Amino acid sequence: MTTTVSAAGLSLRYGLTTALDDVSLRLTEGVTGLLGPNGAGKTTLLRVLATAVPADEGTFTVLGHDPRTPAGRQETRRVLGYLPQTPGFHPDFSAFDFVDYVAILKELTDRTARHNEVRRVLAEVDLSDVRGKRIKKLSGGMRQRVALAAALVGDPGFLVLDEPTVGLDPEQRMRFRELIARAGEGRTVLLSTHQTEDVAMLCHRVVVMAAGRVRFDGTPAELTARAAGRVWSSSERDPNAKAGWRTGLGVFRNVGDPPPGAELVEPTLEDGYLLTLDGMHAEATA
Amino acid sequence: MSTVLTEAPAETSTAPAREPWSAIFALARFESRKLLLRIPVLFMLAAYVAWIVWRTKSGWYGYPALQDVDRATQTGPLLVGFAVLLCVNQAVLRSQRHDTERLFGVLVLEPWRRTAAHALSILPVTGLVVLGVAAQFGWQAVKSTAVGHGSVGELLVGPLCVLLCGAIGLLMARLVPKPFAIPVAAVLLLVFSVLAPASIGGGSATAWLTPIVGEGSTKTIPSELIGRPAVSHSLYLTGLALTLALLAVLISKGRTKTSTAVLAGSLAGAIALGVVGGVGQAAGVSSETVAARTVATLNPQKVQSCVRHGRSTYCAFPEWVPRTATWAEVTDHVQSLAGGTAQTRKLLVQQRVEARYGMEGDGAIEPSTTPNQVTVRTMWGGPRTPEFSAAVASVLVLGNEKAGGDVCDGRMVTIMWLALGWTSDPVTELRAVRLSDTVTGSSIVLSPTNGMTMTAGQTSVVRELLAAGPSTVTPKVKAHWAELTAPKVTTAKVAQLLGVKAPGGADKCE
Repeated sequence: MTTTVSAAGLSLRYGLTTALDDVSLRLTEGVTGLLGPNGAGKTTLLRVLATAVPADEGTFTVLGHDPRTPAGRQETRRVLGYLPQTPGFHPDFSAFDFVDYVAILKELTDRTARHNEVRRVLAEVDLSDVRGKRIKKLSGGMRQRVALAAALVGDPGFLVLDEPTVGLDPEQRMRFRELIARAGEGRTVLLSTHQTEDVAMLCHRVVVMAAGRVRFDGTPAELTARAAGRVWSSSERDPNAKAGWRTGLGVFRNVGDPPPGAELVEPTLEDGYLLTLDGMHAEATA
Repeated sequence: MSTVLTEAPAETSTAPAREPWSAIFALARFESRKLLLRIPVLFMLAAYVAWIVWRTKSGWYGYPALQDVDRATQTGPLLVGFAVLLCVNQAVLRSQRHDTERLFGVLVLEPWRRTAAHALSILPVTGLVVLGVAAQFGWQAVKSTAVGHGSVGELLVGPLCVLLCGAIGLLMARLVPKPFAIPVAAVLLLVFSVLAPASIGGGSATAWLTPIVGEGSTKTIPSELIGRPAVSHSLYLTGLALTLALLAVLISKGRTKTSTAVLAGSLAGAIALGVVGGVGQAAGVSSETVAARTVATLNPQKVQSCVRHGRSTYCAFPEWVPRTATWAEVTDHVQSLAGGTAQTRKLLVQQRVEARYGMEGDGAIEPSTTPNQVTVRTMWGGPRTPEFSAAVASVLVLGNEKAGGDVCDGRMVTIMWLALGWTSDPVTELRAVRLSDTVTGSSIVLSPTNGMTMTAGQTSVVRELLAAGPSTVTPKVKAHWAELTAPKVTTAKVAQLLGVKAPGGADKCE
């Protein structure tokens, strides 16, 4: 698969805080999930890749464009779609007007073509029926879809989505997953999320970040495989487990280093993610 | 850590060649549509239209002088200007207020181009104000009774004020992106544009630094004598508005070296335009205009055209020549009520102005001592018509204009009868021509030069005569003309001769 976005040695500090520490990655077409706890540097990485802030060190290219020069930055922005975390809206604008406004800011200047494109993306996110409605009258899920439409308008080659499913109810989240999956067809999508289910369902690759560094970069199956043989069930909470909880079946599910003879169970992506983070804590305290 | 799935050359997307201005124009169209639909702008546009209708219906009594009409278009657009100031400011700060800058900041159109689009978005609403000004001026200009010439420079001031307000809103948003900034700016602009000029006075060079100057003058003078630096002032306002708008664009981020150079060059041009206009408007009135004003005031016959209507001659400044026929109608009506030689006397009706101080001063004119000469001013219609009628009547009765200021006897009754007896609504005209706006008691009667005094008794007699009507009174006037116009004739005697109740007491002017 062709690499569309590549970053090498990205570092960024805010005062004494290191937000990004020598981050390198390569993205290809399809949806790549970006997992990590709060403060891991996910949003900072997305902001750097979206050209919102420059990195202190390191380089990256998006579809061959190097944003370090003003001209390169403009070209990068022309192929970029960005959905920021908790995006703002102009509440008095209709959904159509807001996306149209964003389309103009993306230099779609031909009025007829632009309006057709706005209608297309609003249809893509199932908002055709309410496109004339003011945003302040739309539900949270609909607003989030307006933001996705704004990111999709102009058919960008690289889509950066920062926690787009936060605050959505399960039905809305499921709907949003469909939209993201569709958006990932034929373009590169980088999806930051706290939801391992999102990654499991949508992503062909996953990057785990913690403390500004990439801790894992591989397929969801590889991340899940990290937990192979390290998840077991027991009738009592195992005090030696890294994490453990009672399931709906009344048994305890434990993650960590199982005792001899433990009843091993099938690991999930979340188990692999927890163990990856736990490994990082172990590194930090060693 | 990095994982390389496949080593392949990065794909480079090829963007089509883009015209940087086309996105600015597209955004400007979007923003201008939003601006025109904002409630404050719609409200103020409606108020502006109402103001135009009110001004047009209430001004100039149906006889406009276009050199006054052009200035009268200037204050109304400020209503729209204040709304534009507010709404442009809010539009620029919209992305900050609603936290959309995080998204917009990574889109292709840089802040400087967005600011430029906001600047251009002011143009359509300015265009509407241009239409308003054209309608207001055109409404008066198409009247057959209109005289004079408007100035394009004066007509541009209103729309340019809207442009200036928008530019202030734009710059304020970039300099002080806080909600309190706009009310402060609006108050300062109000003081700067309306209150300061009123206190400074239009004659001062510094007054021309403010947007609107000297509309409050009540004088009408020939357009070539006005001497207002209207064109320079328009250049100054254009330069000022462009300077503020370009400054706002220049302090916005995202400029390339080329755009910075173009903007800096444009800013220099705008400043130069403003300076040229500022210097031009501060130059004051030219010596030629001063000389022409003196001639027009002291020797108007040198620059006037005279035409004959019936028995009398009418000399007017060239712009007013078409109106001489209207004056002649009044003269003929007055003479038709007179008796003796007065009804066929040849009069010289001469238009006079006090133009030596330009638009400043009250424009008072000394009465003429030349026999059979009547002064007519530059304004007409409304109370100006009976005032002229009274002047014609006083000259027919007293011989010259100056004598009107001294008359205190019964001849005043004859004068007022001649002045008003021919009109369709003489009581209303009586009220209009009296300084007190009453039809009882004593009052000063206004005329184009000095006023005349009318006692309570004379007022009472005149009112009775007007009620009786011309068919009853005119034959008596003609029959007793010599007695009615004899010096020292009492009001009681006049009343007796004309068959109405005589007032008690002797004539006594206050």
